[in-house]
Amino acid sequence: MEQLGIEPKLLVAQLVNFSIILFVLTKLLYKPILSILEKRKKQIEEGLQLTEKMKAEEIQMEEKKERLLEQARKDSHAIIEEGKKQAIEEEKEIIAHAHRDADEVMEKAKKEIEHLKEQMEKQMKKQTIETAILMAKRLLERSLDSARKREISDKNIKELESFARSN
Amino acid sequence: MPHITLAAEKLTTTFGFPITNSLLTTWLVMAILFIFAFLSTHSISLVPSGIQSAAEIIIGGLHEFFESVIGHHVKLVFPLLASLFLFIIIANWVGLLPGVGTVGFFKNEAQKSIQSKEVISNEGSVVEEKKEFVPLLRGATADLNTTLALAVFSVIAMQFYGFHVLGFHYGGRFIDFRSPIYFFVGALEVISDTSKIISFAFRLFGNIFAGEVLLAVMAFLMPFIIPLPFLMLELFVGFVQALVFSMLTAVFVNVALSHGEGEAHA
Repeated sequence: MEQLGIEPKLLVAQLVNFSIILFVLTKLLYKPILSILEKRKKQIEEGLQLTEKMKAEEIQMEEKKERLLEQARKDSHAIIEEGKKQAIEEEKEIIAHAHRDADEVMEKAKKEIEHLKEQMEKQMKKQTIETAILMAKRLLERSLDSARKREISDKNIKELESFARSN
Repeated sequence: MPHITLAAEKLTTTFGFPITNSLLTTWLVMAILFIFAFLSTHSISLVPSGIQSAAEIIIGGLHEFFESVIGHHVKLVFPLLASLFLFIIIANWVGLLPGVGTVGFFKNEAQKSIQSKEVISNEGSVVEEKKEFVPLLRGATADLNTTLALAVFSVIAMQFYGFHVLGFHYGGRFIDFRSPIYFFVGALEVISDTSKIISFAFRLFGNIFAGEVLLAVMAFLMPFIIPLPFLMLELFVGFVQALVFSMLTAVFVNVALSHGEGEAHA
């Protein structure tokens, strides 16, 4: 033992030295470093989880947006279609109405024309008859004597009057 | 030829306590470790900078490594393992620094062997020859006191962890009266753990001391260039020995903590 240099006092001293090293390094080095490593690990994990969550949320939002856009597109399409249909219907209605109006106007005009024609014809008849009576009077005055004249003219007048009356 | 001694040289004695050069180096190593620890954690922050990140790499790496050896018990045993590793590696490397083992003073041999029967003659020349060179520093692990202390500490710690984790039941590893075979196995365990002290102590001491002798001899034979590869080799040996010491401790602690695991199911 002596030749190997082993000396109990020194052995104890080195034991004490190592105990001090163990104690001091545990207090000063291992605990703070390991705790901060753990802390950092936790924080990184939290950060990663957060980003994961955010990513999922973003995807959801994107999907929602897409869905809304799709819906809006569909809606607008439907509205336009509806509008077109309505417009066509209205157009048809308007045209039909116009046709009807025009027909009515035409009908009225025809009736009026007819009426006018009738009236004019009547008037013409009257006038012609009057003129004929006048002409007959004058002709009879010149060629017949007064008795005969009266006789004939009376007869004619009567005839004409009956004709006129019958007419 | 340089003077090579197996034992560490005594520098002085204070209050009957011998102070050797390897004890001095131990204190130096302690100072280095404490300063490093202080500098790396005195302004610790979540965003590491400089020396803190270096400490994080070392401590984090060691933690991961020892965790792979002993699993979830690492939390309990890590301080011991890391301290063993750090102390041994720094002590080994400090022993390789230039000046360690070469800077020193001459001490009169006459003082040491004053009780020897051969009285040294008063002639100056003889006294000159008897003067012994004493290096101021000597690799801390090149002294059996240091390595033996580490070995004793490590083996005692194994038993401590055994009792701490498994309770009184752990004692059954060494003393078991249930059957003669168990009793014999227990005795073997006692011998095995005792021999661990010796193997720990002499493996580390032998490697480092041999390395220093090798370097001294190489430097004596060819002072330039040639010792460099050997120096590199010794750096590597210093690392490996630190690793071996701490890892073997980890494995033995693991064995101690797994005592009775098989019996629990039987």
